[in-house]
Amino acid sequence: MKIVWRTLIILAVFIALSGLMVVAVNASSSTTTTAADGAPQLHADGDMGGRPERGERGGAGGSRWMFGLLKNVGVMAVLVTIIAWPKSVAKKKRKQAAISSTNSQP
Amino acid sequence: MNNEVQKNTSSLTKTKLWLDVLVFIAFLITMDPHTSGIAIHEWLSLAMIAAMTLHLLLSWDWIVEITSRFLGKLGGQNRINYILNWLLFIDGTLIMISGIMISEVALPLMGITLPMGFAWRRLHDMSANIGLILLGLHTALHWSWIVTTFNKYLLQPIVKLFSAKQKKDASI
Repeated sequence: MKIVWRTLIILAVFIALSGLMVVAVNASSSTTTTAADGAPQLHADGDMGGRPERGERGGAGGSRWMFGLLKNVGVMAVLVTIIAWPKSVAKKKRKQAAISSTNSQP
Repeated sequence: MNNEVQKNTSSLTKTKLWLDVLVFIAFLITMDPHTSGIAIHEWLSLAMIAAMTLHLLLSWDWIVEITSRFLGKLGGQNRINYILNWLLFIDGTLIMISGIMISEVALPLMGITLPMGFAWRRLHDMSANIGLILLGLHTALHWSWIVTTFNKYLLQPIVKLFSAKQKKDASI
């Protein structure tokens, strides 16, 4: 029963956020995404692996697949290295300092 | 009693680890719809809603504890983690809802057709890119847990298995 309630809470927050987003986007897009002639404007897709345009079914060659995958893993690896590595070095230093201070005590 | 609690915690951690590995692989596949194709991209993304709900349910105690302590005394890392997790949840919701709005396969199959929205398409791409960065930060902040858990539940059992086999071979 507890799990059902918790799931309902998560889904309720998800639905509430979704509703807010739909209202916000519909309110703003009605004024910004139509050109002077009323036709919708297609924005350029400068992304890290965006969705194919309508009708473009995907299924690219192996090299492209590898590139997309490596790029995404690479972005995450860079972030992990930047954040986790200095943290682990600092932790090791703290540990060593603690060991040396206990060793130096008479 | 103590042993039972330890056993439960261990199995919960294992479940969390495997779920996270699956979600990570699914995320990498869904991040490249050019390759997987739209059908896999959409159905896998919808399945990820269930996986993410399970991920949140498994971390429920942490969420409740930090929410109740957020305005009071709380360590810096927990606070950053909490804020980042909320951002990830909001961004995940935006990815899902914008994906549903521009769905070409899953929703039409259910008999639902929505008008084409270029704003949603742009939002979907943008939120997916932000999601990649947020997930990278989330992974980085949990890196020591990932390494420790991988070592405990994956590497050590394999090493133990090999060393036991070697001992058995040597005794023969």
